[in-house]
Amino acid sequence: MRGMEIGTRKLFNRSFTFVSIVSIVFMALALVVLLGPIFVKGSSAFVFRATIEHRELMLERFDRGDRAAIEAEAARAEAARKPVFDAIRGFEARLDTADVDFRRRYRGDFNELKDLALQLLGPMPGEEEPVLLRRQYGQTRWDRAKIRLHGILFAEEYDYSDPSKMGVKVLKPRVERFRGTSLEPVFGELERGAEDMLRPRLAWYWRFLFDESYDSHFFGGIWPEMLGTIYLVLGAMLFAVPLGIVTAIYLAEYAGESHFVSMLRTCISSLAGVPSIVFGLFGLAFFINTLQVSQSKSVLAGALTLAVLVLPTVIRASEEAIKAVPLTYKEASMSLGASKWRTILTVILPAALPGVLTSIIISMGRAAGETAPIIFTAAVSVGRPLAVWQTLSQPTPALPWNIYNLATEHQAIDEIRHVQYGMVLTLVALVLILNLTAIVMRARISKKLRG
Amino acid sequence: MQSQLLISKGARRYKRFGALFGHSLLVAIASSSVIALLFIFYFIMRDAIPFFRIEGVKEFFTSTHWYPSRNAPEFGALSIFVGSALVTLGASIVAVPLGILAALCLSDILPFSVRQVAKPVIEMLAAIPSVVFGFFALVVFAPLLQTHGGSIIAAGAWIVFAPLGLVVVAVASDVATSRLPGRARAAGRIGAAVLLGSLATLALLALTGFLNRLPVSTGTNALNVSIILGIMALPTIVSVSEDALNAVGRELREGSYALGATRAETLVRVVVPAARSGILAAVILGIMRAIGETMVVWMASGNAARIPSPWFNLLEPVRTLTATIAGDMGEADQVTGSARYHVLFAMAACLLAFAFIMNVVSEYAVRRSRRTKG
Repeated sequence: MRGMEIGTRKLFNRSFTFVSIVSIVFMALALVVLLGPIFVKGSSAFVFRATIEHRELMLERFDRGDRAAIEAEAARAEAARKPVFDAIRGFEARLDTADVDFRRRYRGDFNELKDLALQLLGPMPGEEEPVLLRRQYGQTRWDRAKIRLHGILFAEEYDYSDPSKMGVKVLKPRVERFRGTSLEPVFGELERGAEDMLRPRLAWYWRFLFDESYDSHFFGGIWPEMLGTIYLVLGAMLFAVPLGIVTAIYLAEYAGESHFVSMLRTCISSLAGVPSIVFGLFGLAFFINTLQVSQSKSVLAGALTLAVLVLPTVIRASEEAIKAVPLTYKEASMSLGASKWRTILTVILPAALPGVLTSIIISMGRAAGETAPIIFTAAVSVGRPLAVWQTLSQPTPALPWNIYNLATEHQAIDEIRHVQYGMVLTLVALVLILNLTAIVMRARISKKLRG
Repeated sequence: MQSQLLISKGARRYKRFGALFGHSLLVAIASSSVIALLFIFYFIMRDAIPFFRIEGVKEFFTSTHWYPSRNAPEFGALSIFVGSALVTLGASIVAVPLGILAALCLSDILPFSVRQVAKPVIEMLAAIPSVVFGFFALVVFAPLLQTHGGSIIAAGAWIVFAPLGLVVVAVASDVATSRLPGRARAAGRIGAAVLLGSLATLALLALTGFLNRLPVSTGTNALNVSIILGIMALPTIVSVSEDALNAVGRELREGSYALGATRAETLVRVVVPAARSGILAAVILGIMRAIGETMVVWMASGNAARIPSPWFNLLEPVRTLTATIAGDMGEADQVTGSARYHVLFAMAACLLAFAFIMNVVSEYAVRRSRRTKG
């Protein structure tokens, strides 16, 4: 910048400020872009327009709601559906008696239509109850129901007329296939009367957090995953906190600047830098295959693995908390004749307690969100909520793992997006609340120590 | 002291023994993290070495034939190493400049009150679990990239190059007209700015046109993962380098200002060079976060074990070490003892060794920066 005009230098200065502020704005933007869809779509797992099927499900599976009112409403919905079901039944009967040409022309299309209609509205009254739970009810959510309805009204076809390109998707009204038959009016009735048939109403389903899931997350909530995460986090803390705090006391109060301490610190920071998937393999090879704390995956093995993972976090933050206690506290206690141990136990630790708690809370957030270490040590895709003593020997579903599982390996990924988003929102909210608590606590502590 | 003189010899010995015992217990517990690290090394190596003994070293590092499930399995992991390296490189291109700029902004430019708000926000970004980033990459970002791939990349190019272009045009037009006499200068500067600005806009439009035509065959590719990993590595880089920048004393800054330097000159020529070890440590930690990350790459990288052509083509799917370990262990688990199982430990051993070396380097850098200051 030597030899530059003063104006140019000022300009350069201003542009530098501008660019660096842009970078901060970009970071804030990234946070908003990331969390925005998660909050918006995640809340749809809790607040959504629920159809009568949802209320029936709640009544039958969880015994919730006003039985008389729901049954009356179900009867009204049933009455609205009757023309559709009657038309389907009538057409089916005709199909059985009709000639070969008629059958050949309509059989396939009709089966498809009937299947779609039953997915939308649930099984027809008087027919055999389907085995799969997801076929025993129609669409419980109005947003899904609208997509289904669209799928009934319009069939997806592919146009291969241009051989040089890939097939182009075109939507064709399904009613075209049934022109002139008794099924033709059904489409209009469905389009006009869907609201009467499903009676959507805004529902506030906070029990999403505490309900068991039914039929691999088609219905119900995420309690097994919540409970699994809680067990894993508490278990990890049970092992990591005592070790971490004792180490922090040693580092803050006893250790000088010896080679041993310097090696200890290098080890702690190296432990913090080990990739999380390596912790998973270590947990598998050590806790399960070598120590055999359990036959195969278990909450205990996962909690131990997570404990090793969060140990450096606990140590570092607790050490800072202990070091933040003013020296005068210690001097006062020592001058009263208390031994070093006594001073630590009765003066320093109580004074450092809020800071230590902050470190524990931050590590809890870390442990709750980690997926890779529990893949091989604790997590399964489907499971029931465990009792406390079962955690010693049995694996559990957990929020982070099941987010992965539902988003990539589930049989009907697109149909349970709301559950996935709900789970993600729950996990994010859990972690952010833990961190916010820690941030607020830290702010209060530093104010107290300063003033 | 008085009371100690009065107690009996036996009691004193007992007390000293107790203190010794307590101290050694404390040291033993404090060494638990050392033991944990040693155990991690031992147990990963124990299962990794059989792989190298059975299959040899050369194929693993030099061949791209990754067919672990065949009857005659092949374990050439070169493409997986390249995948990891590519994704990490992409992430650091995103995160390093942005992170250092943001750290400079936080430490020197923003007023204290804004900083108090910005720091917790960065902490929150750091706290968001990786599976959430992975979910976002897979469910929100990948479909977007697949359907409007080119235009999204073009928008990204605008976000990066538009502010930079603005700055370059402003400074360049100023420099170009600095020799003109006083009166002609204002007019000349505007003329030069318009000329250069339209040139830059044209260049950017040409770039946009090129990017718009880029074929994006799949949304789950290296670019997606690089961007997300970069955002994940940002908080680490920002907070560690901000610490390093803050550790550079006031005196240096004030000295520079006293010599008449502007803030930008002070930052670029005095503060950053003084904090370079700390910034290096920050970059290393950020890179480690990116290379060790599992869920995002597993969910959104496409998991195709081949080297993109050309090698820097971020629009092709890749497969990384971490994703291979996470994805293949499920299949390998039932056949414990085979090379299929040990190869994953061999990969973990490579990751572990890399992480350890990087960590020691960053530790060294941090210590050196502390020493130069202290």
